[in-house]
Amino acid sequence: MIPDHPSAAVIRVSLFAGMAEVAGHRYLDLPWTGGTVAQLKVAVQAACPAIGPLLARSAIAVGDRYAEAAELVAADDEVAVIPPVSGG
Amino acid sequence: MAGETRQTLRSSDTGVELTLTPLEPARLLAGVADGAAGGNVLFVGTARAATDGVVTTRLEYEAHEPLARSVLERIRQAAMAEFRLVGCGIAHRLGLVEPGEASVIVAASSPHRREAFAATEWIMARIKQEVPIWKREHRLDGSRSWEHGSGVPNVVGGPP
Repeated sequence: MIPDHPSAAVIRVSLFAGMAEVAGHRYLDLPWTGGTVAQLKVAVQAACPAIGPLLARSAIAVGDRYAEAAELVAADDEVAVIPPVSGG
Repeated sequence: MAGETRQTLRSSDTGVELTLTPLEPARLLAGVADGAAGGNVLFVGTARAATDGVVTTRLEYEAHEPLARSVLERIRQAAMAEFRLVGCGIAHRLGLVEPGEASVIVAASSPHRREAFAATEWIMARIKQEVPIWKREHRLDGSRSWEHGSGVPNVVGGPP
């Protein structure tokens, strides 16, 4: 997705497994001027409603760790949505 | 003497591994050998040929690799402390896995067998809840689907 305004900050959110399949993309690019993990989930939901059911049961990762809902996320953070896992 | 042996063998402690190539259970087990160990447990999880009566032709695994490595290492360290292990290694396969092939292996060594058995079970339970790895089943009829567990993945919890 291209931001409406060229100077607007954009955050890239990685998607995996069934969530990438439903979205049809391995990531989403969203306009982002900063906010919390919880706000980011709302933005992801708005950008791609189809992944909503899985998103509700997903965690957000920043870099190589799970992030708390109240944690602040910057546009240049490496962010991923982590749906329920099925390894083993 | 025992101290020397332990020092040497500890250096091969295998830690955690994510790999596209076949897992090596014997190597993982050898990596947790320790002069102080009296019980050494190796768990090998293999791809089933059928689930609920439906034939699985192969499994496919995908991971958020940096997060998976870091969560696996935290689980490994938590198990080392909680079960007083002297060695512990975890490896998970990624990509396509044929039925019968190993998809995950866990090795644990402790002075007595009880802790080593308990640790491997505890580690497997953690992996299935917390490590960002996903499985896709490919079936005989050509259909395939990603599996998603029931819980919300989260940080490594406290003691078992």
